[in-house]
Amino acid sequence: MQGLRMTLRSLLSRDRAETEMDQELRFHIEMETEKNVRRGMTPERARTEALRTFGGVEKTKEQCREERGGRWVEQLLQDLHYGARTLRKQPGYAAVVVLILALGIGANTAIFSAVHGILLRPLPYPQEDRLVILRQSAALAGQEDVHVSPMEMADYRARSRVLADLVEHHTMGFTLLDRGEPQRVQTGVVSWSFFDVLGVKPILGRTFRPEDEKPGAEPVLVLSHEYWRSRGSDPRIVGRAMEMNDKTHTVVGVLPPVPRYPAEDEIYMPTTACPFRASEHAATDREMRMLTAFGRLRSGIPLAQARADLAGVFGQLRAEYPEDYPAEQGFDAALLPLREELVREARPKLLILLGTVGLVLLIVCANVANLTLSRLVQRQRELALRSALGAGRGRIARQLLTESALLALAGGAAGLLLALPALRLLTTFAARFTPRAHEIGVDGTVLLFTVGASLLTGLLAGVAPAFSRHDPTAMLKEGGDRGTAGGKSLRMRNALIVFQLAASFMLLIGAGLTLRSLWELEQVNPGFRPERVTAAGVFLDWNRYDSEERSWGVFNALLERIGSHPGVASVAVGTTYPLNDSVPWNNALLIEGRAPVPGEAAAPVDLRLASAEYFSTLGIPVLKGRAFNEGDHADAPPVVIVNRSLVRRFWGDRDPLGQRISLDQGENWRTVVGVVGDVKQYGLDQEVADEIYRPFAQYSSYTGNVLVRSDLPAATVEKLVRDSLRAIDPQQAVHDVRTLEDVRAESLAPSRLTTTLLAIFAVLALVITAAGIAGILAFSVSQRTHEIGIRMALGAVPGDVRFMILRQAAMLVLPGLALGMAGALVLTRVLTSLLFGVEPTDPVTFVAVSLLLLGVAAVACFVPARRATEIHPMVALRSM
Amino acid sequence: MNKAKSDLLQGTLDMLILKTLALEAAHGWGIAQRIQQVSRDVLQVNQGSLYPALYRLEHQGWIAAEWGTSENNRKAKFYRLTQEGRRQLDAETENWERVSAAIDRILRIAEKTA
Repeated sequence: MQGLRMTLRSLLSRDRAETEMDQELRFHIEMETEKNVRRGMTPERARTEALRTFGGVEKTKEQCREERGGRWVEQLLQDLHYGARTLRKQPGYAAVVVLILALGIGANTAIFSAVHGILLRPLPYPQEDRLVILRQSAALAGQEDVHVSPMEMADYRARSRVLADLVEHHTMGFTLLDRGEPQRVQTGVVSWSFFDVLGVKPILGRTFRPEDEKPGAEPVLVLSHEYWRSRGSDPRIVGRAMEMNDKTHTVVGVLPPVPRYPAEDEIYMPTTACPFRASEHAATDREMRMLTAFGRLRSGIPLAQARADLAGVFGQLRAEYPEDYPAEQGFDAALLPLREELVREARPKLLILLGTVGLVLLIVCANVANLTLSRLVQRQRELALRSALGAGRGRIARQLLTESALLALAGGAAGLLLALPALRLLTTFAARFTPRAHEIGVDGTVLLFTVGASLLTGLLAGVAPAFSRHDPTAMLKEGGDRGTAGGKSLRMRNALIVFQLAASFMLLIGAGLTLRSLWELEQVNPGFRPERVTAAGVFLDWNRYDSEERSWGVFNALLERIGSHPGVASVAVGTTYPLNDSVPWNNALLIEGRAPVPGEAAAPVDLRLASAEYFSTLGIPVLKGRAFNEGDHADAPPVVIVNRSLVRRFWGDRDPLGQRISLDQGENWRTVVGVVGDVKQYGLDQEVADEIYRPFAQYSSYTGNVLVRSDLPAATVEKLVRDSLRAIDPQQAVHDVRTLEDVRAESLAPSRLTTTLLAIFAVLALVITAAGIAGILAFSVSQRTHEIGIRMALGAVPGDVRFMILRQAAMLVLPGLALGMAGALVLTRVLTSLLFGVEPTDPVTFVAVSLLLLGVAAVACFVPARRATEIHPMVALRSM
Repeated sequence: MNKAKSDLLQGTLDMLILKTLALEAAHGWGIAQRIQQVSRDVLQVNQGSLYPALYRLEHQGWIAAEWGTSENNRKAKFYRLTQEGRRQLDAETENWERVSAAIDRILRIAEKTA
């Protein structure tokens, strides 16, 4: 209490406290003087003697101030004031340090804002920790997610006792007519309580109600915030009628901006409004698995208990319908927390980036510490003077730390400015891995992080200089301006450089490995030739085109129209095309004359539809037999073409031509007429799937992708496709027109972005480190001017001097390299998930990075080494 | 022992100040004189440590300061012991006696064996 009062008093009335201290000490000296006079000294002598016995008055005062309390606030203000003045006097040094700090802190702020927005912040749903996904998988068939069928939905709803609600979602593409041009919209088909389970409240109108999902209900739509905005943010949109699937749908509400999960749906409709979901087929086929199921756990039910309950329900289903849950496919059902699921893909990448920028910040700290140590040598006189005037070692250390913190805060502010524009790049990056990407932003927590990171950086960078040895008395005694650099301080600085080199090496290895992995990906033969091919999605109104003849009729007419254009080399239609983010559409395969082997027959194969020129348009080689042709029409004998991978799996070296297979448990048999090359359908880094192609004409499909090989510009091709379709049926929409080269580039984009980010940070680290090496060598040359001068006077030639400097550099670079290599061998393992076709210990990368680092270090040595050789012996010696 | 004057042990200065002030309030110079006199010039109080110690003790609330008039009619800062200070002095005295008795015993044993 007393202490606090004294602290406050000394703070509030500092001047008074100072005066009182002054008076008190003066009184002491006067008393001492009087005593001396009484002992018979002359007044002058008495006073001198009194002062002598007292010792340093200023020093005593300073110590009294230390003890007085509240001193630290006072000193902090003093330090800040003094620090700011010192830094103003050395603007070059301050600018360089602030810039380096800004880069380091800015990078960390940017990455942290992504980590915070995506990984740390709770989902923008109420009680988000109760939200789960119910996922069925077939692990033995290699399928993480087989989705849930409408029948299974009904069973889980009826039987689960741990879920407050279970709702479904699937995405369909529908053609929507809203006052004009037909437009394909991605539509989320959901249970009526879908938004209630997520806790999303509309910003306009309402979400769905139970009566919206009753059979025969009036079709209604809820718009996503993004779609509403793209339609001009009309505040009176509720009640508007839109044509879809030959029915009039009424808009009843608009959602707030929330992450669009599980799909980037533009609009939503209840299950009964979706012709596909409401069909009789969907209600009776347990294996029509197309839904994603979301649940909200009852309050108070822990996840473990919920999982146990679900396992019980799934056990019942499997026992009741064994043929729908083949044991050899490893069927299972699980509950997964929604938040984990949303960020599953993004998490490892963000954590790797966070580690990377953390390392960059450490390099920055080491670099700034080194710069500050160099300054310190030049400031020895000033510090010695302060020390002589009564500043204790702790006080000087505090002063230096304050300066360092001041610089770090300035660096943090500048870093924040650098981070802001980087956020957009990061959002683009993260959007490829998580729907939460749009939650990246700078908020209070991020600002707090920046301030915290700045102060920590200031502390880390300031601690070595603050506690380095400086002997003030030696300094004053010598009176020279060139204090002994101090072996300990130099060792510290060398250690910091070695650390920077090692850390840079590790970052460069990380960037090098991802770069090499990207290169490997680029080299992958995709199995098709994307050049000059443009794809355009066509989505027919499936109520109108519900048979083979009708849908093929449209597609066939479309192919004829487009193909008749003189600039078109070839045109085809397929259900999908390679690298098109398509979901596998698979069936179990039966081969005639061969009993199904357990496990083998059940493993699914991918099914595709392809028109006659599909393979030639895409440049997929026909290895055996023939491609499809005009003869493979709806009434002709059913045929299939298989890929090489499938042949290898089921026939080995035997000839598959003429063999018959069934895709419907033996009901219909189809003859194999050709074998085509393997294609990377799902990604350049993915395994090739076993594929079966069927003629487009022999199966009803209301969706297709028209593929045009042509020298015409993509825009012309797009117009050609649109015009052709409009001429056939003006109400049908063309969507997603892209060139296959773009598609291929797009499939590389995630790797490219990751590599770019890692490379930016690695180069940043390298530049900072190189500057550090150059700095420490230049400093050492300037410190050793005399020595070099003497050596040259004694006959050393410039080559010798250069060798001496280079040897000194090598003493730093080689241990740094060795240390970095050891660290990299341990740390790069975390990159494994990002790498393709490259081992984390890839020797090529290690050698290349070593050479790069050596090269950069050599360049960094060049200037100081040359300066050393230019030292004139006479000048150097005379200045001694 | 050649050296007639002994430097104060670290930490004992606080105790001596408290003890001195337990007898009567005094100003800094007075405290120094008193310690020197009572110890018959064996203990020299270095002013460089006296005043910081006074500020420290005041900050801890063991002593309180007020301005008064000195014996030669001058304005001086007088220190007196607080209640807390008295308790602290008792604790320190007890501790000192325990430690010095222990050291004493050890020294005696050493004499016998020698």
